[in-house]
Amino acid sequence: MKKISFWILLLLSLLLIGIPFFALILTSVSVGWQWPNLLPDSLSFRSWDYVLRGSSGTWRAIGISLLIAFIVTIVNIVLAVPAANALVRYRIKGKWLAEAILFAPIIIPPFVSVMGIHLTFLRLGLTETVLGVVLAHLSPTLPYMVRALITSYSTLSVDWEDQARMLGAGPFQRFYAVVLPHLLPGIAAGASLSILISLSQYLITFIIGSGQVVTLPVLLFPFISGGDPAVASAYSILFAGMAILALLGMDLSLKSYYRRKKSVSVNGRGAGNDEGTSFRPN
Amino acid sequence: MKELRLDQIEKTYSKTAANKTESFGLRSIDLTIREGEFFSLLGPSGCGKTTLLKLAAGLLEPDSGKVWYGNSDLTATPPEARRFSMVFQQPLLFPHMTVADNTAFGLKMQKVGKKERLEKAEAMLDGVGLKGFYHRFPDELSGGQQQRVALARALVANPRVLLMDEPFSALDPGLREEMRELLGRIQKELGVTILFVTHDRDEAFELSDRIGIMRDGRLLQVGAGTELYEKPVSTEIAAFLGIKNIILGNIGEGRFVSADGAITMDVKNGEPEGERFLILRPEALQVADGNIQVPGDAIRIKGHVLKVKFLQGFYTAIVQAGNHELECQLFRGQSEQLEAGQQVEVFFSQCDVRFVME
Amino acid sequence: MWQKSKPYLLLLPATGTIVLLFFGGLFDGLLKSMGYFPAIGEVGFSFDAYTDLWNSSSFWSSLGLTFRVAFLSSIISGLLGGVLAISLFMLHNSGKNKGAGLWHRVFQLPLTIPHLVGAYVIVLLFMQSGLFSKLFASMGLIDTISDFPVLVNDPFGWGIILTYAWKEAPFVSLMVYPVLMRIHGSWRDASRVFGANNRQFIREIALPVMMPSWTIAVFIVFVFTFSAFEVPFLLGVTYPNMLSVHSYQLYTSGTLADRPEALAINLVLSGLTVILGLIVYYFSKRWNVLKGWQ
Repeated sequence: MKKISFWILLLLSLLLIGIPFFALILTSVSVGWQWPNLLPDSLSFRSWDYVLRGSSGTWRAIGISLLIAFIVTIVNIVLAVPAANALVRYRIKGKWLAEAILFAPIIIPPFVSVMGIHLTFLRLGLTETVLGVVLAHLSPTLPYMVRALITSYSTLSVDWEDQARMLGAGPFQRFYAVVLPHLLPGIAAGASLSILISLSQYLITFIIGSGQVVTLPVLLFPFISGGDPAVASAYSILFAGMAILALLGMDLSLKSYYRRKKSVSVNGRGAGNDEGTSFRPN
Repeated sequence: MKELRLDQIEKTYSKTAANKTESFGLRSIDLTIREGEFFSLLGPSGCGKTTLLKLAAGLLEPDSGKVWYGNSDLTATPPEARRFSMVFQQPLLFPHMTVADNTAFGLKMQKVGKKERLEKAEAMLDGVGLKGFYHRFPDELSGGQQQRVALARALVANPRVLLMDEPFSALDPGLREEMRELLGRIQKELGVTILFVTHDRDEAFELSDRIGIMRDGRLLQVGAGTELYEKPVSTEIAAFLGIKNIILGNIGEGRFVSADGAITMDVKNGEPEGERFLILRPEALQVADGNIQVPGDAIRIKGHVLKVKFLQGFYTAIVQAGNHELECQLFRGQSEQLEAGQQVEVFFSQCDVRFVME
Repeated sequence: MWQKSKPYLLLLPATGTIVLLFFGGLFDGLLKSMGYFPAIGEVGFSFDAYTDLWNSSSFWSSLGLTFRVAFLSSIISGLLGGVLAISLFMLHNSGKNKGAGLWHRVFQLPLTIPHLVGAYVIVLLFMQSGLFSKLFASMGLIDTISDFPVLVNDPFGWGIILTYAWKEAPFVSLMVYPVLMRIHGSWRDASRVFGANNRQFIREIALPVMMPSWTIAVFIVFVFTFSAFEVPFLLGVTYPNMLSVHSYQLYTSGTLADRPEALAINLVLSGLTVILGLIVYYFSKRWNVLKGWQ
């Protein structure tokens, strides 16, 4: 059985991961790959050269993508921390309503709302601006941040803050010394999702940015919908790599934080990750 | 004198999301804890003692009444500005800080420089027997060690009052004993004022200068341990302190007669008349045998032995007299001469008698 | 007073943002779908856009396609993800914990890949002159490009289905695996004592245990694919197309007069996803899958 499951896994990993990545990489360096040849006629880094060269606008697009994702994530943290605090720790009338409002964008596709608000944004001069795109990215990402932080808050007993209070810590010191370290894993999980979702938005960026705010998906789209396969593949690898690197960077910085600080909040962390990824495929 | 004074404190406490306590109220509590005193609040769980402690800490706000420290009114002062400290039932060490950083936390909040606060923290850790544990993390310590760190952390900032909420109840009996000794020693050394909450009688009696007994949100009696035990003001307190010999009767014309008529005795002059409970501590009751000389003025009761029990180092006989089962502490050797069904005479001295109204 | 209103004040920024940006957009869309459009001088209300939809054959064929694609995507990714989770679980149980953990991580990789890239990978692999076509040709299975079936930009939606099956299989596995891991090692021993072999163990214990969360995971994939845009936009055909794409095309390529109809489609789509979402929520609460059992 062990053998069988191993072979199944190997087959699946080949099918789900090996072949797709192989196809992308090979196409990106191929020149004139004729059917039915199994391998390209010749290899060249022409497409990579084009993609990474200054004039193609790749670096600018990556910069704008990351800038938007970063601002969106910061705003999400600022909005979600107090909201999660209130939802977990207080008895609130109409809590279900608050939750329904906050989690609605998980269920209802965000482009519905964006198409609706498009003309209003146009009138307010928010289209074609980074600010407009940031505003559009908030609703699809915020619910995940709130979810991750709710998990973190529910594993943090009020006793800890009481203890810090009795030792003379004021509200800001309590938040900084006690609450924040406990929330960090949740914040990191929420931020990972927030960044990932923001980076991969095409439609709402395109509608609100009207093609003028060129993020990586907006730049990439014309190529993969019928452009040069080699360039499209190179962009795809770059795009996937950026998303994976952003997540990896988050994970590593968290790990090094805990290696330095050495933590026991394993709970918060595991739960944060689980919860974060578990609601909607992305 | 800088004493902690709770003045007419009232608080109705309803269930909140964070703390699942049933609804109850503290009724008009007046209490003064003297400087340098070890004061315990003793009572069954749910009696309001922890609520009272949190009110003193400022973690809860009273509905009415005031909290004083010396001449300053602390009622509206937030807990972090009261310069009290608190040890909870759980150690609540911050998991992301070392033992030394945890201990120095309070000093850091007071903006004490890093070097100085770590020195003080380490000295205090030495004091609680944790020399060399400075750089460990809380999860590397045992439960007892963690609670020692919590104690060091609470003491290092030189608090005006140390509040302790059943700090040893989560520990094993052996460890609890050890921690009590440590706490007693440290309290004497540092002369810190302690308000201690517990449901454990022995713990309160061993450690405290004075004890306040609480029940159902009321403070029933305050006094030193011996005073409470020898002069309980009600049958409730006597029963809570483990005194089982409580006899309902009546005082009239200088005599006490139990309700069933089995026990009668003369009472001192001036004892007011009416319905009374007679409280007799078990060690005040003795079984008369040939070896003991019964004083002339002792009060004698006839009865028969129901059984003889052995409890923590001494024997107790249960003697049936009328409708009453009296607990009577025995001397060494006496237990061998007694057996169930035997007719005996027990006696006690006039000065060990205590009458209460309710 | 502060104490009483504090939690509501804490909630306000987040809920306010969503209400303004998200529900504001929905409401804006609702008004415009009913013809209230002051910018072009329309201030009356009508249900014309909705009756037009009801009578439009392209709407119904879009709806049909959307259901079909969502259904097949979720079932296929569910099967793949289930096999994946059980294989990981059996590998873990056979004692190679380290290996299983590593495998588990490897299979999360497709989850992090953006959907656009996922769609493009399917293009490279499955278009008529794609990698699989080349592979089959060099193995002598097909002779010309046109022998390879049209799987990308096909009217049935295979390209979209393949993309989601691929991308969401790891998601299903990620949802199911933790539930399987709650099966004690001792259960395996116990079942062995009663004579169960591996296949029986999977059938009698592992499958029943994972069933509730598997169903929920598959349903989530269904709801998600139902309203997704990017992949169908890239891999679909002009007609029929999935609801989201249909709406987008009406919105952008049509005249201003087509916009109410586009927004009406959006609201119908939202209504359907909300109903589907509520069904998922109801069953997940009832089966307690998202919380974990004792």
